[in-house]
Amino acid sequence: MATMKFMCDAERCIECNGCVTACKNANEVDWGIQRRRVVTLNDGEPSEVSISVACMHCDDAPCIAVCPTETLYQRDDGIVLHDKDLCIGCGYCLYACPFGAPQFPKENAFGERGKMDKCTFCAGGPAETKEEEYQKYGANRIAEGKLPLCAEMCSTKALLAGDAQEVADIFRQRVVQRGHKDGAWSGNPRAETDSLAYDATQQG
Amino acid sequence: MRLTRKSDTPRNGGLGISRRQFLKHSGATTGGLAAAGFMGAPMMQRSEAAEKTAWSDAPVETKRTVCSHCSVGCGVYAEVQEGVWTKQEPAFDHPINRGAHCAKGASLRQHGHSSRRLKYPMKLVGGEWQRLSWEEAIEQIGNKVLELTEQHGPDSIYWLGSAKFNNEQAYLMRKFAALAGTNNTDHQARICHSTTVAGVANTWGYGAMTNSLNDIQNSKSIMFIGSNPSEAHPIAMQHILLAKEKSQAEIIVVDPRFTRTAAKADSYVRIRPGSDVAFIWGLLWHIFENGWEDQTYIDQRVYAMDEVRAEVAQFPPSVVENITGVGEESMRDTARRLAENRPGCIVWCMGGTQHTTGNNNTRAYCILELALGNIGKSGGGANIFRGHDNVQGATDLGLMSHSLPGYYGLSEGAWKHWARVWDLDYEWLKSRFDQAEYADGKPMYSSGITVSRWIDGVLEQEEDISQRTRLKAMFYWGHAVNSQTRGPEMQKAMQQLEMMVIVDPYPTVAGVMHDRQDGVFLLPAATQFETTGSVTATNRSIQWRDQVIEPLFESKPDHEIMYLLARKLGFGDELVKNFQMNGNQPLIEDITREFNAGMWTVGYTGQSPERLKAHQQNWHTFSFRDLRAEGGPADGDYYGLPWPCWGTAEMGHPGTPILYDTSKKVSEGGLTFRARFGIERDGENILADGSYSQDSDLEDGYPEFTDTMLKDLGWWDELTDAEKAEADGKNWKTDLSGGIQRVAIAHECSPFGNAKARCNVWTFPDPIPKHREPLYTSRRDLVEDYPTWDDVASHYRLPTLYKTIQEKDVTGEYPIILTSGRLVEYEGGGEETRSMSWLAELQQEMFVEINPALANDLAIAEGDMVWVEGAEGGRVKVKAMVTPRVAREVVFMPFHFGGMFQGESLQDRYPEGSAPYVLGEAANTATTYGYDSVTQMQETKCTLCRIEKAS
Amino acid sequence: MNRSTPWRALWRLPLLLLALVASLAVAQLALAQADPEREAATAVPAVDADVWRQIKSGETGPNYRDSRYASDYNLINASGETWRMLRERWVSPFGVIVIVGMIAVIALFYLMVGRKKLDEPRTGRKLLRWSLLVRSLHWTVASLFIVLALTGLNLAYGKAVFRPIFGDGAWAAMMSGTKLIHNYLGPLFGILLVVLLVRLLADNIPRKHDLAWFAKGGGLVGKGHPDAGFANGGEKVWYWLLATAGIAVIVSGLVLDFPNYGQGRDTMQWANLIHGVGAFGLTAVALGHIYIGTLGTEGSFEGMATGYVDETWAKEHHNLWYDEVKDQAIPEAQVNAARSAGSGDQPASG
Repeated sequence: MATMKFMCDAERCIECNGCVTACKNANEVDWGIQRRRVVTLNDGEPSEVSISVACMHCDDAPCIAVCPTETLYQRDDGIVLHDKDLCIGCGYCLYACPFGAPQFPKENAFGERGKMDKCTFCAGGPAETKEEEYQKYGANRIAEGKLPLCAEMCSTKALLAGDAQEVADIFRQRVVQRGHKDGAWSGNPRAETDSLAYDATQQG
Repeated sequence: MRLTRKSDTPRNGGLGISRRQFLKHSGATTGGLAAAGFMGAPMMQRSEAAEKTAWSDAPVETKRTVCSHCSVGCGVYAEVQEGVWTKQEPAFDHPINRGAHCAKGASLRQHGHSSRRLKYPMKLVGGEWQRLSWEEAIEQIGNKVLELTEQHGPDSIYWLGSAKFNNEQAYLMRKFAALAGTNNTDHQARICHSTTVAGVANTWGYGAMTNSLNDIQNSKSIMFIGSNPSEAHPIAMQHILLAKEKSQAEIIVVDPRFTRTAAKADSYVRIRPGSDVAFIWGLLWHIFENGWEDQTYIDQRVYAMDEVRAEVAQFPPSVVENITGVGEESMRDTARRLAENRPGCIVWCMGGTQHTTGNNNTRAYCILELALGNIGKSGGGANIFRGHDNVQGATDLGLMSHSLPGYYGLSEGAWKHWARVWDLDYEWLKSRFDQAEYADGKPMYSSGITVSRWIDGVLEQEEDISQRTRLKAMFYWGHAVNSQTRGPEMQKAMQQLEMMVIVDPYPTVAGVMHDRQDGVFLLPAATQFETTGSVTATNRSIQWRDQVIEPLFESKPDHEIMYLLARKLGFGDELVKNFQMNGNQPLIEDITREFNAGMWTVGYTGQSPERLKAHQQNWHTFSFRDLRAEGGPADGDYYGLPWPCWGTAEMGHPGTPILYDTSKKVSEGGLTFRARFGIERDGENILADGSYSQDSDLEDGYPEFTDTMLKDLGWWDELTDAEKAEADGKNWKTDLSGGIQRVAIAHECSPFGNAKARCNVWTFPDPIPKHREPLYTSRRDLVEDYPTWDDVASHYRLPTLYKTIQEKDVTGEYPIILTSGRLVEYEGGGEETRSMSWLAELQQEMFVEINPALANDLAIAEGDMVWVEGAEGGRVKVKAMVTPRVAREVVFMPFHFGGMFQGESLQDRYPEGSAPYVLGEAANTATTYGYDSVTQMQETKCTLCRIEKAS
Repeated sequence: MNRSTPWRALWRLPLLLLALVASLAVAQLALAQADPEREAATAVPAVDADVWRQIKSGETGPNYRDSRYASDYNLINASGETWRMLRERWVSPFGVIVIVGMIAVIALFYLMVGRKKLDEPRTGRKLLRWSLLVRSLHWTVASLFIVLALTGLNLAYGKAVFRPIFGDGAWAAMMSGTKLIHNYLGPLFGILLVVLLVRLLADNIPRKHDLAWFAKGGGLVGKGHPDAGFANGGEKVWYWLLATAGIAVIVSGLVLDFPNYGQGRDTMQWANLIHGVGAFGLTAVALGHIYIGTLGTEGSFEGMATGYVDETWAKEHHNLWYDEVKDQAIPEAQVNAARSAGSGDQPASG
């Protein structure tokens, strides 16, 4: 069975926010809720790097573990979905998630947060009819044999989604092509000397 | 393990605030149960929850269209069910974007759902918006136009058109203005790449992007100067990053800001705004010094490089460092990278064009690439990324005050040519114009007022304007006003007009900033998704759009509105003479065919609707690497038949993917430099010397083709009799049969000749580009050596100041350099994109980027509200964003915001329900006077300001 | 020739090895040489150890940007996993252990030691111990406590116990109701408990004789009853547990219940842990309190139920208090009359 995963190649991410609005396009989540966000470290500095983050559909998902009502569950293909009917808005999934994926439409007194919403890998959620599924969870592209719209529309093909093995293969190809010895996020001492001529005889 | 992190603390400034969010602790931090915060402030900004598109099981129609935002031209599959645009799918097989989109492209579907659209015609009466019917609106507007034309002449009306028209609409608009009897028409290109078109076209023939985005994958070095594709052309980054990864391309970014593109660069060079020419000459200094230039190429294909050498000799490293701020090491390193990594290209956008010296900048960029021998090669080129989706098309189709479609100009010959194409009597056409003569000549043959100067067309002394009167009425047709400078004066100008008509899908800033009580009309136009037609991408490919949905509310497509107005004004029949009409709508394909019949200069003749539609239906057959179709119905064509696509459609020219590429046969898309400037200059040959196209029968330079030339060459008899009849006495531009072009190409010759590119444009104020300080410069010490020009009495009908402005030293009061630019979420004036919630959510506030050191000097902290006051007194109240992106003496503002004016919100002035989600100050309220000496481009990239904290 | 062949032939081997090693070294050099050029050409500039440290630590600098409007989230919040581990591996088992354990201990105690009966017979004369106000407060607080404890336990453990039993439809409604009850009654409980604690503060100040009370196991060790005032040592411990752990539970509960003041995730995680540990502990001890106040001690329950206790009970369990108030004893018959007359709100006191 394929395991579905996301992966964002930060060397290609240009923070264009195409993934953010593509998700809105497919799922029409309310104003104020962005299932996917783009984070930039060192904005405006030479070491600036961006990465797109949403639910990572973890294998041992902390959100599933801490949820008191079993709102969250994982499918065989690794996608973590949620059942809005069960959610009581306690917020525990948000506290547990390393990526800040779960979001709530409100943040009111007495812990009234509304129903949690998060990236569904464009696989919808439990519902009786397709209308209901779309209203509650947004698109179910996986059922149509498609992939999440965010990854399909990424402007530079930085965001990859799909079977983990295939995604890893694509990424590995890129790493090899880029000539990295030890993975894509390698440190690069040359960057310190960006205004001087680079001596190619120096060992990296 | 520490559980407590800095992220615990509310963001009261310590953690910094992103450009994308400013925290609004509305009442939450005030204590007490009585505070609003007790019951919780909802995180949502808006209280209405948006309704989702209804789910439908109806059959899906898939339409193929093209994004309507920037000029990359991303393909889109729009899925429509029962007339509602329900889904948007990525077009993986589209050769330019392969399904990719940026934030704007990924949210296109919202065009079909935006509730903030202008819904029906409206009129401002007593400060209130009243609804009108279309009939009433056309009637009243038409009557006013007729009245003003009667009293003041046809030049008293300004017909400002749009880069968002499709090609057919842009062409029709130009025709409309001509039939209305004026050259007072223009579009966004004026304030975007007009200096590019003028500078580049005058260097080697055409002023468009020479290669393509796809071809950039083959570049070994790419220098971005004043261009930030990560935000302005994100899909171009797909190709650029592929170049970086697959071709090991060197990416060099030269910019006053460390942009998102610079973050992906191998080398970033910070430059003082407005010092581009000095920078380029500085690079050439090293190139010439080290003998890195391609001398063979120069000998064969370039004229006057020696004059450039002489100029460059005055820019040794010390001088360059003084002017640009870039040190010798960095200059040499950059030059070396370019020299060692060829073929390479240069990319520039507004950072280079929007200056008083714009035409100098653009020519300097070209000269650099000529020196390196990069023009006309795959992987090389002058890759100009245009702005709006169809600014290239609108420019080509002549929607400008100084030309007719196809860059024919405004000479009598040009008018006669088009009169023939339009099948109208030339004398009649002539009679439509004001017959008097003014400083610039007769209005029919003299360039009209430009969009950058329309306010002066209203405010200037009437005797100083080169037409009968000031402007009395203005049409803002698909054109924002907050993208032009001098906001406070613009407001004054708007108040002096007798009528303002805004034709747009949205009310726009023009609809609310005027501070008038009446005399303003709003006409709802349909977007490009509610009509069909062709659009030209930045790489000159022409793409066909399907109509996705019917016009929303009461909006009408632009060409229908044009016909309705033309009919009211009395030239409706003439306007649509050659077109089949469907009700009040001219058939789009017939318009295409009409301009196919006339645009021989730029080769818009081979792109018939049939061929374009075939390309549209067969995206998958075109190669991602070189845009060529391999097999399929369009076999052999280049995608979109990039112009010039010579001859008639029957001839089947495949389009020209790379301009000036002599390694290919002309019949297969190759080209030479255009022989536009004569055969010789000062006794020196300016035709190509030993350089010619593959398989060319003329193995040397040759002038442009005329009937005489064909006869001299003995090729005349290769024309058919019909062709001969038409072509006799004509040249390749005016021969409506296309025979001259066909025969020239049959001999693998470029119809427009084979000349050298010229570094010396003897018709320009600076024949060899020179560095001149901006009008508002912080370097008073350089003004003496690099002054601007003397004031001009009349240019594009208006007196234009240079020296008068520059000689005033305002640096005491306004010490900070102000520059402006783009954000990826918004486009142009921003009314359309800020009215789309998915985009507006990402950029909710207008801001100014301030360097941390400067912020400390001014005692400003992140998130503070500040007043930015421009050197002419216009001020804007915006939020401060402290970031090291900008240099210490430079601040940056995005120009997409509007709806607030000098601290005051204009939200109430929008018609009910049509204010955008996000309002903000317009950066151009604070910008200043300054216009290019050739094209009247506005100087928005370098002016001066001061900043103080708002109390 | 024969004898020299074996070792002489071997000279080729080291040479071969040398060649092999040399070629490997050259290859390595060549590879290493080829790489830096391309690697340098494509690496995101200076994504180095510092950036990694920044990400792992969860800190956000002044140039950290997030496209989500008004978000203060870092890129990766590692504390969530820590919180989950603490919850799953410590707090959750702790709750089960102390509560189930307490039930077991109480059951065992009851079976082995049995009910604490009065040594002397009742005199039939009553002393007013708990005023109407205190009783009302106590029972309200107690009921709220029980409801909160049950709903809290359901939130903590319900999915393991009830979901299989109830099935989905009822499960959703039950959990929804559970959370609503817990979140709305919680602050009410908090307010009332504080009022009660304030009311009873004076009686619960620790005194020296309390130590002696503990030394004698509250009377379990040896014969006779140790000294005790209005509240004995054990009761004071319960009081102070509520005044410390209870307050902690309330405060943490309020932090959790009112997220609209911009608490960060880490604050909520701490609050949740404190709330859990405190609540489970208090629930366990409350079970003890309930046992002692009902089944475990004869004569105690009627005190909180009616307000009056028998003299004997007072003498045996709270002798110091008895000494102060013994002359305010009234016969049983008068109790009803006194109560219906509306007086009797003043507890017997010195």
